Amino acid sequence: MAILEEPIKEVLELKNYINGEWVESKSKEVWDVVNPATQKPLAKVPMSTNDEVIQAIEAAKEAFLEWRRTPPLARARCLFRLKELLENNFEYLSRIQTMEHGKTIDESRGETRRGIEMVEVATGIPSLMMGYNLEDIAVGIDEAVVYQPLGVFAHIAPFNFPFMVPLWYSPFALATGNTFIVKPSPRDPISQVKLAELIEEAGFPPGVYNVVHGGAEVASTLIEHPDIKGVTFVGTTAIGREVYKKCGETCKRAIVQGSAKNFLVVMPDTNVEATIPALMTSFFGNTGQRCLSGANLVIVGEDDGFYRNFLDAFLDATSKIRVGYGLDETIQMGPMQSVDGKERVMRYIEMGIKENAKLIIDGRKPTIVGDYPDTCFLNPTVFENVTPNMTIAREEIFGPVASVMRAKDLDQAIEMIHGNNFGNAASIFTTSGRAAREFQYRVQCGNIGINIGIVAPMAFFPFSGMKDSFFGVLHGQGRDAIRFFTESKVVIERWF
Amino acid sequence: MMINTCSMAISFAKELENDSANFYKELSQRFSKERDLFLSFVKENEKYVMQIERAYYGVITDAIEGCFAFNIDPKDYVIRTDLTEGESYFEALDRAIKIEEIISRFYSDAAEQSKSLMADVPRAFRLVAKKRANRQEKLKSLLEKEEG
Repeated sequence: MAILEEPIKEVLELKNYINGEWVESKSKEVWDVVNPATQKPLAKVPMSTNDEVIQAIEAAKEAFLEWRRTPPLARARCLFRLKELLENNFEYLSRIQTMEHGKTIDESRGETRRGIEMVEVATGIPSLMMGYNLEDIAVGIDEAVVYQPLGVFAHIAPFNFPFMVPLWYSPFALATGNTFIVKPSPRDPISQVKLAELIEEAGFPPGVYNVVHGGAEVASTLIEHPDIKGVTFVGTTAIGREVYKKCGETCKRAIVQGSAKNFLVVMPDTNVEATIPALMTSFFGNTGQRCLSGANLVIVGEDDGFYRNFLDAFLDATSKIRVGYGLDETIQMGPMQSVDGKERVMRYIEMGIKENAKLIIDGRKPTIVGDYPDTCFLNPTVFENVTPNMTIAREEIFGPVASVMRAKDLDQAIEMIHGNNFGNAASIFTTSGRAAREFQYRVQCGNIGINIGIVAPMAFFPFSGMKDSFFGVLHGQGRDAIRFFTESKVVIERWF
Repeated sequence: MMINTCSMAISFAKELENDSANFYKELSQRFSKERDLFLSFVKENEKYVMQIERAYYGVITDAIEGCFAFNIDPKDYVIRTDLTEGESYFEALDRAIKIEEIISRFYSDAAEQSKSLMADVPRAFRLVAKKRANRQEKLKSLLEKEEG
């Protein structure tokens, strides 16, 4: 089986998309976008100037006036066209993601599909945005609530799902009649540029959707500008906390999705054969670079035999994972997206050793399928005898590292989860309905999995999160997103 | 090389469909008495590829075990599709039945392995396996007719 053809053949010079025009940035500061597997340059991305961000905000503000008056059905039709264009470009978009991010082609296609699902759900806006009313709240007086768009929203995108994450928000923002500015991650902004090209082709009016490239400065301008009505952010908790604070200071709505440390709890009655592949996907899928990744594997029970057998099965599967370039269909795990990311993971592995966790699979000297530089590559790493107070058990590593822990029973496993600051996701693997019910009822995490390795909510459900993993009230996706992007207005009427 | 990823399994299924379609195209040219039947097999193969791809592209997400759903050795499903110069109609039919058996087995095995992991993909595999089994019956009846 051959390596799939690369869709990017030459180094791209990326432009901003402002007011329906592709505009070259005047900035002198340009970053290189590099394929993490091959280390070949893919694009040059500008760190846009403050003026360019302001231009985008003004264009979006101006476009809002007409766009909000565009009937929801007409707005939905733009989304229907976009959906069709996305389907037609499905493979192209997926391969770009593999090239710019490093993930495997199956993972990229999964990301594309999830992104399209957001657009599909948002096409239901004529129904989703309906208000409600009641006649005769007093004799002859009626009351109704309508949902209205607010204005310009901005999204600060992460690098780990460069195509999908902005789509958690933009289709809902656009469908509800708002206008939108996205700042893609400068590490992998290409799929966002391709998406904007399709949005343009789908017929969204100029200024309704804008793309401004850049880093922290662009993000700050967007977050602090008074004409931005709300911000959605996905990234680390440390930065997310600052974003949330700034949004509060400037009276903006915010959805801030931060870091995670997800526990996967395996009960002694689990179906081992079905559990192992789910764990592989959870711990090592996307090279561990996702907020829903498994991080701590808690094996429950005092039966040493079960513990040993389960761990052996886990280690056996882990050691067989094929690491290489994601466009090779045989590959199960790609490289880290950046050298920085790899170095961070290496530091955590060293910390784990220092804190006396037992390193049983060391991924630091990677075996790679194919002739690629090891610059960003790691193999999966597994630690045993990890305790909840160790740094590797507490902090987000954001890489392919599994920390194996033991709990004597479910209560102790839940205590471990609650001892952690984060609350993004947790899963239990069991055949016991009682244990599963107890788990979903008690565990303080936003996304609960029962025999599910990656608890990724579908587009019509909110992407939840608790504790230090989420700041805000409403979440992205689904009905929450509709409420986030609209203001409720109450009308009470009486006719004399 | 084992097939572990969903992408690889889909590519392998496509390869089997395309190779067997080419085989039936050749049969249709060589043995005109069942030309229409063999050409209908070619068309069916195209439809199967579409059905499988549609199922895969429709449900693949980052949340399911796309990279860990299979453990298949493609060597177990090698089909011989080249017709030799003097191969008789009887031999060709016999070969077609063997091809269908192998392809059907591939789909059944792939569906079984991925049933608890993937979503609609195993269902699409099972559907095609069933259709291939029906095709085998048709081919067997032709063979019996030939023997009789």
